[in-house]
Amino acid sequence: MKNQSIINIFVLFASLFASLHVHSSEPLSGAELINNNCARCHNSRPIQEFSMSEWKVIMPHMREKAHLTGTEVQAILNFMEIAATPAKAVKVIEPVTIAVDPREVLTRYGCQGCHQVQGAGGTLGPSLDNVISDRGKAFFLRKVKEPQFNNASSAMPQMPITDEELEVLAEFLSPK
Amino acid sequence: MRIINTIRLVTMLSAGLAIQQPLHAAESSDRFVFVGYGDVKYESADVAGTDAFSARFVPIFLFSLNDKMHVEAELEVGLNEDGETETELEYADIHYFLNDNTTITAGKFLLPFGQFSANWHPSWINRSIWTPGIYGAHGSSQAMDPMLPILSDVGVAAQQVYQVGSAKVFFDVFMTNGPRSEAEHDEEEVVEDDHDIAFARLFSPTTTLDPDVDEDEHGEAFPEVEFEATSSDNNSNKAFGGRIAVAFLPSIEIGTSYYQGAYDEGGQLDIRANGIDINLISTHAILRGEYIRTETDAFVERDHEDVIDSFSRNGWFLQGTFFVGHLFEELGSTEIVIEHAQTKKVEEAERWMVGINYWLDPRSVIKVGYEDTDVADGPDDKRFAVQFSYGF
Repeated sequence: MKNQSIINIFVLFASLFASLHVHSSEPLSGAELINNNCARCHNSRPIQEFSMSEWKVIMPHMREKAHLTGTEVQAILNFMEIAATPAKAVKVIEPVTIAVDPREVLTRYGCQGCHQVQGAGGTLGPSLDNVISDRGKAFFLRKVKEPQFNNASSAMPQMPITDEELEVLAEFLSPK
Repeated sequence: MRIINTIRLVTMLSAGLAIQQPLHAAESSDRFVFVGYGDVKYESADVAGTDAFSARFVPIFLFSLNDKMHVEAELEVGLNEDGETETELEYADIHYFLNDNTTITAGKFLLPFGQFSANWHPSWINRSIWTPGIYGAHGSSQAMDPMLPILSDVGVAAQQVYQVGSAKVFFDVFMTNGPRSEAEHDEEEVVEDDHDIAFARLFSPTTTLDPDVDEDEHGEAFPEVEFEATSSDNNSNKAFGGRIAVAFLPSIEIGTSYYQGAYDEGGQLDIRANGIDINLISTHAILRGEYIRTETDAFVERDHEDVIDSFSRNGWFLQGTFFVGHLFEELGSTEIVIEHAQTKKVEEAERWMVGINYWLDPRSVIKVGYEDTDVADGPDDKRFAVQFSYGF
């Protein structure tokens, strides 16, 4: 009898849960979702490790494991698309030809999904505020181009950032 | 009873299916992916008297039927001491994504009780070479008797995810075949692997369960409970439970879990477990821990009558991982791991573990570890091991 009562409660809750929907009106950052969720259990895997068609099969597996919503999974896949296919990403993302806004570059490549800049951003990677003053501009430029050159376990993706965008970003992050 | 349970199950699934979103075929033609992990270990253990290499290969098969249904299966393939290949089905289930935040799972799945079984047990994810002292599943041979040695079971589960302000709330519920009495099995059956040994010892205490009661009396009254998943059930009562967790990502996740299952044929004797788990993540360290308390029913003789009494046990572990390479760049991707675990009331034991991990890349790690287990009524154990774990 005790079990029956508890099973009744279980069935009731399960039915209620199944009938509820939760939608977020705010656009989600795929980079931020990777920062927030992957490292809860394991190191973030390099995006380039799998093809996009493979990620599209892997992410439903991770959706259940990491308690992600379908919308969140799609946002992560969208970010991976940018990071994993540079040639296509250049076409998808309109090239910046006029004055490059460093904040737009940060947003474009999801930098603050994992790094803090002026107090805002993720914590998976180190803050970028002092990266150039502490490590030098040459380190910063190489780190963006070759993310694993100084740390084999770094999960930082190699982004399709242009030389011009990188220079603007380095200038923005340099000590004033 | 069985029919009633079946009707309840159908009601639950029907309620969900009635409000399902339209089914769409997957856009991608690539629907299958083969991933997994494996490890090679050298271990020297005092009590077991072993000094040997071992290896495991754990393939995971992922298959997207369409954008609403996803199949996953994990096998563990390893060699036993006699050189025979052992294969174990860790999980094989199908997820049905009912809507944006609801997932229904059916099959043999990892139980959402705590976090170790569901998320941290793969060797390339577990920062320690060994399973925590309060868990005994997944090939763990250890001096400590586990609290709730369940990794996976067969049944159905539902998961819900909510965003509440800056927090995420996770709900998991499950119903499975559950445990059974070890005594119901063939008495001549040889318990060979560490998995079963752990189960058999769990409720075969050699010490007094209650200081006020005679040891022999309890020893006879206390049954042995087996948790290993099967495609059968010895009673009509299904095990059930779930987990509720709150996460302030990316830094904090705290959860509480419940498990209850009848293990005797009459469905009168339950084992109940409560758990609390915590996961703190920062740039320089990770802190993981779980506390589990179990209550096991058993028939005991009081005033010449058999009555049901409950015996409790509790245990916990806390594991800290420190990314020392973040502080001293010359150490690269080196981590230091420290873990402490205790079990109390029955088979009391205490363990310290220290380890150093060096990551070759984000999914390949060399772990060197030493653990020292102090068993209250039994031989203490010391172990040293080196493990190369990889995810692929």
